[in-house]
Amino acid sequence: MAKKYLRMTLNERIQHLNLAINFTILVITGFALKYPEAFWASPITDVPLGMTFRGFLHRLSGVATVTLGGYHLLYLAFTERGRRIVIDMIPMWKDAKDLWETLKNNLFLNRPAKVIKMGRFNFREKLEYLGLIWGTIVMTVTGFILWFKEEWLLFFPMWTFEVARAIHFYEAILATLTIIVWHFYSVVWNPDVYPMSWAWINGHLTEHEMELEHGSELERIKAEEKGTPVHFNEGSGAGGGRAYPIHQERREKFSVKGLYGLVRHLNESIKNWRGM
Amino acid sequence: MMWRKHKAWMVPLGALSLLFLYGMMGEMAWGDNSKCLSCHQDEKLSKKDARGNTVSLFVSEGEFKKSVHGQISCTDCHTRILDDSHAQKKVKKADLKVDCGTCHEESEKIYKTSVHRLKAEISCKECHGHHYVAPLTNPKSATYRTNLIQTCGACHGEEGKQFAESVHGVGLFRGRPNHPTCTTCHGTHGIKPRSDPDSAVHERKIAMTTCPQCHAAEQITKEYRFTTKPVKSYYDSFHGLSYRGGDTFSANCASCHGVHDIRAASDPKSMIHKDNLQKTCGVCHPKASVNFSKGKIHTLADIRGVDFGEKVVGWVRIVYIILIVAVIGGLSFFNFMDWLRKTVDRRPKE
Repeated sequence: MAKKYLRMTLNERIQHLNLAINFTILVITGFALKYPEAFWASPITDVPLGMTFRGFLHRLSGVATVTLGGYHLLYLAFTERGRRIVIDMIPMWKDAKDLWETLKNNLFLNRPAKVIKMGRFNFREKLEYLGLIWGTIVMTVTGFILWFKEEWLLFFPMWTFEVARAIHFYEAILATLTIIVWHFYSVVWNPDVYPMSWAWINGHLTEHEMELEHGSELERIKAEEKGTPVHFNEGSGAGGGRAYPIHQERREKFSVKGLYGLVRHLNESIKNWRGM
Repeated sequence: MMWRKHKAWMVPLGALSLLFLYGMMGEMAWGDNSKCLSCHQDEKLSKKDARGNTVSLFVSEGEFKKSVHGQISCTDCHTRILDDSHAQKKVKKADLKVDCGTCHEESEKIYKTSVHRLKAEISCKECHGHHYVAPLTNPKSATYRTNLIQTCGACHGEEGKQFAESVHGVGLFRGRPNHPTCTTCHGTHGIKPRSDPDSAVHERKIAMTTCPQCHAAEQITKEYRFTTKPVKSYYDSFHGLSYRGGDTFSANCASCHGVHDIRAASDPKSMIHKDNLQKTCGVCHPKASVNFSKGKIHTLADIRGVDFGEKVVGWVRIVYIILIVAVIGGLSFFNFMDWLRKTVDRRPKE
């Protein structure tokens, strides 16, 4: 049994799911306003009061996303694991070099290809995470300007409102395309993880996945394990900050895989049966 | 049989029967109105209707001859008047009604769906007149562009008065072509109530067809030196986008500019005059501040725009488009190379 390494705790997975759902709602309800004649907007535009409900849902999801962002900040500040995430997320010069070397590897400029060992968060993840933070700030600020236009226009002229509207729209395009191009490649279309990286559901990476994308982190964990073996389970809030090996339960209570093994075992026995 | 062989006798008999038929047609048929006019030329000829009002039965021959129907006979329309005895007999009122739909089928069909027919008793003659119907192009016609304000105003007085003072009405009475009259927005025979989705002035149509039929028309906008910008920018504004999606709470053209009393922004009575804007916006945005009324509303992002906001939004647009193309292009390129390399590495070894 290959070892598994904790990637996302249950808390983080719920945060991720929360963001995924709210982001999708925001994208659909937002672009349904900009492209009201589009075929995919018809479930909203064909219903009576559809556009009114669309606006309400967009604001509701926006508030949910902002609340999630606030919660995430608290999580980063007040848990050990969160503080560790902040430290590991700081962009370093090595990330730029990693990106450059990856590109050179991919273009066959490095022959043979260099083995790149990346930390707990590689340049892909740092880029995306920081981009997400930037996008959330921009969308929150411009979104609230658009929502509370009366209050905003007490202090600022009309053209600032128009600028906020333009930024909100173009940033939305940028964010949506980034998720499709960058995030979905990293976790879906990347041949290393295809059809999907399961970390967002079961929370862990395999040793092979760790080797490919977080080489130096894997080495660090292994060195640490040799020194002081640790027993952490993902449920505890104070996870020690890093990804640690989970000790697998030998027997699972029930699983399709187990059932499959049982059936196959039975088949084999029948096939190999040589009589009494 | 002699009468079968010699057919010469048929000639006088046939002639006789033709004469007989012609005699049966009566004197009032086809073209000759002199018999009717012998009585109806009398200016004092009148009757009392059911309410006791005096109704003149006078028909001026000269005027009728000049009308668009001048060449047809009285009985073509008054089909139920069979002979000259109609004046003595007690004839039912319905029998005297003129059915214009006999010839004007299409108009009749559309008219039957109109509010004037369904909710009121406004028939053809109320707008087109009785005996002196003139074509639409005749400036004396009741349905001529400028006369419509009077014709419709007979019942819709308040609206007619408001319209006459509006920027549309003023232009219309100055004789400018293309200026709208009642029918430009409301339609002609098939006028429907505002609440009917088929009505030309239904709230879902105001900003889609009613106003844009002129304000988004290249020829008209060029001729009168205004732009299609208000329509274009409205469609891209929050109001317009939500409206296009079917929202009836968001503002359409009439919400801010008014209906019959649309005036130029420079007119102090205009809803969009700078002193009234705060009030106009305040209908939906009660907390509207002074800044609400300052600054342009119908703006389009353009770096060469007249308005400062237009320029800024134009630049924001350009910067963001460059940013999007560069970022998404870069990320796509990077990921595609990554995918290609990993796929190449995975090809089966020979």
